[in-house]
Amino acid sequence: MRCIRCRAELYRTNDRTPDTAIALAVSALALFILANVYPLVAMTVSGSTRMTTLIGAAEAFYEQGYGVLAVLVAFTALLVPAIQVLTLLYVLVPLRLGRVVRGQNLLFRLLTALRPWGLTEVFMLGAVVALVKLSAQAEVSPGVSLVAYGLLMISIAALTSATPSEQYWLWIKAQRHRAGPS
Amino acid sequence: MTTSDAAPPRAVALATGRSLGLLVCTRCRATVRAIGEKQSLCPRCEAQLFVRRPHSLSTTAALVITAAVLYIPANLLPVMSTHEILSDDDDTILSGVISLAHQGSWPIALLVFFASIVVPLLKLVALGDILFAIWRRRVRNPRQRSRLFRMVEFVGRWSMLDVFALSLLASLVQIQSLALVQVRPGAFAFAAVVVLTMLAAQSFDERLLWDAATHG
Repeated sequence: MRCIRCRAELYRTNDRTPDTAIALAVSALALFILANVYPLVAMTVSGSTRMTTLIGAAEAFYEQGYGVLAVLVAFTALLVPAIQVLTLLYVLVPLRLGRVVRGQNLLFRLLTALRPWGLTEVFMLGAVVALVKLSAQAEVSPGVSLVAYGLLMISIAALTSATPSEQYWLWIKAQRHRAGPS
Repeated sequence: MTTSDAAPPRAVALATGRSLGLLVCTRCRATVRAIGEKQSLCPRCEAQLFVRRPHSLSTTAALVITAAVLYIPANLLPVMSTHEILSDDDDTILSGVISLAHQGSWPIALLVFFASIVVPLLKLVALGDILFAIWRRRVRNPRQRSRLFRMVEFVGRWSMLDVFALSLLASLVQIQSLALVQVRPGAFAFAAVVVLTMLAAQSFDERLLWDAATHG
């Protein structure tokens, strides 16, 4: 649906069930764990190799006295995607089983508010830029985590498109409808 | 040609929610019948309801001005310095782009140039222009301007690219615990510009553009 005045999108829904979102969230969660456990990139200069992890990237800012930047990186690249995936699972799995969790409205509101701050795809491209910059002077190789993070980016994008915010309320309504008459 | 041949006149006035006594929840987009009281909660998601976001114009203006001031140190101050055995090098955002281009990675250099230099500037100019037009109550082409606003909102996030790249460089390029890539204050100013302009876009109530257009 588009606004006839300014042509902005008013809302969007689809006919998917919560199952699609749950499946995508579960795979995102698995990829999130992989992305955090394994090294992100490795660099070799004159025989010695150094590796870094996702959280290591944020830590570097902290160690150099830029705590605020460390928090910003950790928040946008790690925390927001984690909160999104976990919140969706926390609300949707009970909803699927016919229950409504406490604070559901607050959590759905939180999800909508957090949406602009999840920057997985930007971090991914940032990693590519860093790799290109370093490749001039050192041998760099992407790690397992970078691949996992790339797949995480895709599954979060799919999750976002499967759950436009109007969709939550449709699911809740459908659930109430099923629970109501019986 | 007589008047009877002409198509019947088209109704011009749009019914807006406000004119019908309806509100839209800015969080969950539910359409709600407005009640007399000033502050009420959305019946669907319990978010605060309002006809227009309170203090939207002044909040957005304050954020845009702060970001515009910080845009200067963000571009003039070095964002990082690299230490080599014989030389220390300071890099600003722009010199980082230039060295990428020298290295021959043109596509990446262009990408960083757009994300880090063009997009923040475009955001500041576009938001400033929209705010100024509303303030003067002279919004000529609201449809174009609202499209511009949505574009700004959409591309803004990509400016974080350089901050992420820097975080990886700083954590990778070390020997033991000695950092060879040092983060400099320009990085802080730059990240602040990105975050402040994102907040500015979020605090702006797009409908103000149309209010000013129809009244002006």
